[in-house]
Amino acid sequence: MMNRFNHLPTLKIDTSDKIPFTYKGKTYYGTKGDTIATALYANGVRIYARSLKYHRPRGLYSMDGECSNTMMEVNGIPNVRTETTFLKPGIVVKEQNVKGSAENDFLGFIDKMDWAMPAGFYYDTMHKPAKIWPVAMKQIRKAAGIGKLSPDHHMPGKYDEIFPTCDVCVIGGGPAGMTAALAAAQKGLRVILMEARPWLGGHFEYRTSEYINRQTHHERAVQLAKEVEKTDNIRVFTHTANVGAYNNNLITGFQVGKESDVFTERYIEIRANSVVVATGCIERPLLFENNERPGVMQAGCALRLANTYGMLPGKTAVFSIGHDLGLETAVSLHDLGMSVPVIADIREDGQDPALLKAVLDRKITILKGWVATEAHGGKQVKKVTVKSVDATVSKTYDCDVLVASAGFTPLTGPLVVNQAKLTYDNHTNFFLPTDLPKKMHAAGSLLGFENAQSIEASGLLAGLKAAFDCENCSIAELGEAKKAMEDLPGPARGTKLVTAPVKGRKTFICFDEDTSIKNIKQSIDKGFDVPELIKRFSGAGLGPGQGGIPGHNLPLFTAKYQALPDIKIRPTTVRPPLVPTFIATYAGTNHTMFKRTPMDEMQRKDGGIFRNIGVWQRARYFSKDFTCKKEIENVRNNVGMLDGSTLGKFRIHGPDALNSLQRVYVSDLSKIKEGRVKYTAMCNDDGCVIDDGVVVKLGENDYYFSTSTGRAGQTIEWIRYHTRYDNWDFALVNLTDAMGVINLSGPNARKVLEKVVDIDVSNEGFGFSEYKEFTIADTIPVKAMRLGFVGELSYELHVPASYMKSLWLMLKEAGKEFKIQNFGVEAQNVLRMEKCHVILGQESEQRTNLLDIGMGFLWSRKKTGYKTVGVAALAQAEKDNTRLKLVGFKMENNGRAPKDGALIVDDRVRGHVCTARNSFSLNEAVGMALVEADMSKIGTRLAFYEDECNGELIYGTVVETPFYDPEGKRMKM
Amino acid sequence: MALTITCPICGKRNGYEFRYGGEEKGPRPDEKDLTPESWCDYVHMNKCVAGVQQEWWFHRDGCGSWFTIFRDTTTNLEKETPEAKE
Amino acid sequence: MFSKSKPMWGKKTKLKSSYDVVLIGGGLHSLATAYYLAKEHGITDVAIIEKNYIGYGGAGRNTAIVRANQRTQYNVPLYKEALDLWPVLTKELDYNLMFNNCGNLNLMHSEAAMNAARMTIATAQFHGVESHLIDAKEAKELVPALNISEDITFPIHGAMFHPPGGVVRHDAVVWGLAKGAAKMGVEIHQQTEATGINTKNGKVTAVVTDKGVINTKQVLISAGGYSAALIHGFLGIKLPISVLTIQAMVTQPLKPILDHVVSSGAYHCYANQTLKGEIATGAHMDPWPNYTTLNTAHYIKHQAEALSEFLPALRGVRFMRIWGGLADMTPDMAPIMDGNEQVEGFFMDCGWGYFGFKSCSAVGRHMASFMATNTCPDILKPFALKRYQEHKLMGETAALMSYTPDN
Repeated sequence: MMNRFNHLPTLKIDTSDKIPFTYKGKTYYGTKGDTIATALYANGVRIYARSLKYHRPRGLYSMDGECSNTMMEVNGIPNVRTETTFLKPGIVVKEQNVKGSAENDFLGFIDKMDWAMPAGFYYDTMHKPAKIWPVAMKQIRKAAGIGKLSPDHHMPGKYDEIFPTCDVCVIGGGPAGMTAALAAAQKGLRVILMEARPWLGGHFEYRTSEYINRQTHHERAVQLAKEVEKTDNIRVFTHTANVGAYNNNLITGFQVGKESDVFTERYIEIRANSVVVATGCIERPLLFENNERPGVMQAGCALRLANTYGMLPGKTAVFSIGHDLGLETAVSLHDLGMSVPVIADIREDGQDPALLKAVLDRKITILKGWVATEAHGGKQVKKVTVKSVDATVSKTYDCDVLVASAGFTPLTGPLVVNQAKLTYDNHTNFFLPTDLPKKMHAAGSLLGFENAQSIEASGLLAGLKAAFDCENCSIAELGEAKKAMEDLPGPARGTKLVTAPVKGRKTFICFDEDTSIKNIKQSIDKGFDVPELIKRFSGAGLGPGQGGIPGHNLPLFTAKYQALPDIKIRPTTVRPPLVPTFIATYAGTNHTMFKRTPMDEMQRKDGGIFRNIGVWQRARYFSKDFTCKKEIENVRNNVGMLDGSTLGKFRIHGPDALNSLQRVYVSDLSKIKEGRVKYTAMCNDDGCVIDDGVVVKLGENDYYFSTSTGRAGQTIEWIRYHTRYDNWDFALVNLTDAMGVINLSGPNARKVLEKVVDIDVSNEGFGFSEYKEFTIADTIPVKAMRLGFVGELSYELHVPASYMKSLWLMLKEAGKEFKIQNFGVEAQNVLRMEKCHVILGQESEQRTNLLDIGMGFLWSRKKTGYKTVGVAALAQAEKDNTRLKLVGFKMENNGRAPKDGALIVDDRVRGHVCTARNSFSLNEAVGMALVEADMSKIGTRLAFYEDECNGELIYGTVVETPFYDPEGKRMKM
Repeated sequence: MALTITCPICGKRNGYEFRYGGEEKGPRPDEKDLTPESWCDYVHMNKCVAGVQQEWWFHRDGCGSWFTIFRDTTTNLEKETPEAKE
Repeated sequence: MFSKSKPMWGKKTKLKSSYDVVLIGGGLHSLATAYYLAKEHGITDVAIIEKNYIGYGGAGRNTAIVRANQRTQYNVPLYKEALDLWPVLTKELDYNLMFNNCGNLNLMHSEAAMNAARMTIATAQFHGVESHLIDAKEAKELVPALNISEDITFPIHGAMFHPPGGVVRHDAVVWGLAKGAAKMGVEIHQQTEATGINTKNGKVTAVVTDKGVINTKQVLISAGGYSAALIHGFLGIKLPISVLTIQAMVTQPLKPILDHVVSSGAYHCYANQTLKGEIATGAHMDPWPNYTTLNTAHYIKHQAEALSEFLPALRGVRFMRIWGGLADMTPDMAPIMDGNEQVEGFFMDCGWGYFGFKSCSAVGRHMASFMATNTCPDILKPFALKRYQEHKLMGETAALMSYTPDN
């Protein structure tokens, strides 16, 4: 392991704290503060992975994870960006996508096969003859993909989520972002500052060059960070990558937890009034042959290896750069002990004079107007050819590091995903934001500023603009800040060079997808002439690096190759997440929510087997016998108790209460008498039944009504929707959660109820279809109805939710001698099916209306003038005799019931079975089906086609309904 | 996008608190005058405007009102009036 | 072995002043219609008018899942034909459409859903399409990453397994059809915007574009999510359509982990692994009409929550890219295909929602026949616009709907 610097002010490592980890099965040591990639680098690792297609060796290139070069498997998690992931004790690091090792990959030979793989080659191959495709596909699948994930992988860690709001959200904690945050905070605003790196400071942080008056950039970064941290109304999230920005300023990101945090990662979704984007720049890759050979790295990467992580990238570094940061890096690395034989600077002129002097003082050769054209060396850089930009003169240098960087690329991601328009700017060679969304501002080096004071001044201006959005800043102040900027240097001139003078067979515009500039030319020649299409055809920018490497060069190269004017140079689309984000992190706490009835706990104690039904959890069975034989027989012979609390329960009152009900219910509700229960239905505009339930008149324009479980959540909006033009006066209250319901059913129901109530519950005192209000034990208020959904003597008791448990226990106790038992939703399903009572959505569907499912008796045709929802459609469809109709059927020759969902067929499909069971009560198989009208006559023979029947049909006959107790004596007894 | 809707009672809120209720088509027609064509036109047919349209929203996770707003369907941003264009 | 680098769908030509047929929209339905007009009817004087570039809309944004396990007998044969055409087209076009018939697994999360699936499966089997109901354990054998434990929001009861379905490479279909159509003489005019349709005495006379007027007697609008707005804008015909944004996303590429397409209605989520190794996933729509194709924070989070539950291994993978496209939804989740009805010479093929990809080949073939013969093929008849005023919704979705398709 190499010696690490321990004296530099910029260091973020603690060389005294050694951290063990496993790599390729052996133990290695890193240093506290290392990323996984820097720890490996310190241990001499130069080849981290092999590329996707050609298996080319890949090494550390940018340090911010813009490409897949250093993606590795860590603790079973694939595709970890090791250059942005901290080293932790004991982690196990593995190489990906290699046969053998990254150093010696048996698949490395594929690199020589590139001639056989032009852009889009797979579309032209492997389909002739057709039978080779399935075989080829298997191989493609194996070869594709990068990381491996086990299907039973368990993601360790805790994932959290927070949804803060603020006045101003600043994305980017560099000098511009910090200045903006401070400016807004000084106006008294609540500010959130998010920074992707684990610390504030941006590109000032790791630079020891002079900021102003002998203060270094690093010292300035520290000074600003201290100010930010002591400002109470700035909430700082470091190690927090911004991943999305949406209109109305919704900003998302995720934070990586520190050791002291309770979360591993957490999802952050911020609603801000105003947003400042100060995300800075990355470097624009230099395009030349073998431009991604290990040893080739960007200037910031080389400088940070030294200044942040305390190690020299190698012994001898050749530079091929196009900006002053390159010169600065050369000087810094030279001073730290690296040999720098030559700097090829793309620029003929325009270098910072002080830097130029520093270079010359150190006797470093500088070639102006020169560029690297080829890196040599099989697995690592050993030599570099540099040429004059016009390719007339050439020199070769030995080295083990090639610092290569064409220019800068602004990180405009947060702006463009929020629909900012970018325009190509010839001066900076950037795509600059020209049309920003409302209340979103850009600042800092992403606008092309390189001068430190200009960067900060632009941050100040953006911070004040954000404050102005929040009405906390005057126009005069804005004017001053703008004016201050005018006195400072504007955006720097950017280098225009797109590629070194090469043919480009091994010049990679996209590392992740191994897309060379030759592939781009092939794409364009085939008619894929816009960057967006080139991306799709060649794959460039579609890899895990999210276009970080090709994002800027692809449109520039495309324009150059087609000789387009500046105005036609269009950037490619950037899509969120701006940084790849774990599904675990997005999922956050991943809570599930279901409603539970007041009887939930008691039913679970009684052995209830629960199912999620809509928003509720309900007891579906009370034994493992899913035919529910015992439950059903107990209701038919004794008495059962069902938790009906999920029913929708509502009260409507006020002058227009009746009008409103008349609008939505198909029956005429003006005729209900107090003390009676009216069963009725609501249709949608198609006449399709969407709800059924009962209405009780409590007083003049005062009604209590129930809806089906599924409709409880939508009833208020439904009634208000259909009365929205009428200006009617009524109050509508949803009592669903306030009230519980017990359904007491069976021949013994009266005997049980008698024991707990004081009122007369005889058939004369409380008859079928009647409604009573009373109290039990002078305490529990009950709304009671006599209904017959399951076809037996039944009482439906509606009581306040808080009394449900008491009443439940009272009934259970009273019912003991009459063999009271729970019954669940499935038993109810069978019981009501025997009575041919429909469940909406089960015996009805989108194609059926009220009339089709035999509920036409509910429609009061005489009721007119209410614009009742659905009746126009019913009237129009009534004459159509080709619709589906609901029928009851019995099976022939005492056969078994068909499966639910079985088809009814002749030479085509004529209908389907809704519900069918082998009935215990009837001792035969019965069911309900929807069939075409001409098959709905009593006596029609039905042929059932079940799944997996192999053409073996079973038969039944349409019969009169209901099957059980046709006269309805039992529910009326 | 991150839709916000301005409820006349509760003010500007997250769009997911609301339910969309269709294009504004005027009051319910009287059922007796409806032909299959006019019924279908009122119930099912839309203009599908790519631009500003008046439309109904319900504040489901709030005050429970139905109201109309103008929204540009090409940007998902509310507009003060139908004419307003960015 | 390799075709030379020359433009795949012909050199750019100047728009002529008249064509026999004009197709508005450069998506799959137009391309397929053009291909079959030329191939099966010898009609080659055809112009495709595309505002952006071919495959810009839904064709390039969908996740390319194909299947033929729809609910009703009107739909199944159409989708079956489409499914059977992928290998045929691969050969005809001499372009690898990369049909991966890996099978689709549609998860069921309740007894009721299992019963509903049975009807769909019986319908498939009745029409000779392979589809089976399997239990949770069998599903787990097919997809080892599946979580079949009881303690998730929607425990898995079983699945509808449809082996002949799978995934096709959507871009390849776009480019292959364009190549095939262009070879027979069809002109593809990209960066050309249709701005109107002229009619006289109830007949189509011309299509107006930003590059000039094209005289024609027949025009088809099949412009995906933009169709309804164009049809209303050009001809004043209103449609029972709501245009919603539907989103999809991919993770970073992985070695094979998911061998089938997995989908779940309860979770509003589907997932499959592309040949490149990415997990492609999507499904949910933001329930208000818009043409933005913008993605939302809400949705990518929802998707992560859903996958976390039923494919928990994927918690260790990162989302890499999300995008949106348009889905033109009808109340009955079935498309509208019509012609010579509202205006003579005017044809429409729209309302596909998110089924436009899987149907394109067969539909293009039948629409071509419709336009060439001016006779609606039987298989398309149930999809006429008139069904809505005849109270004949198609039942492709069983769900009872409230207000509009967006709800």
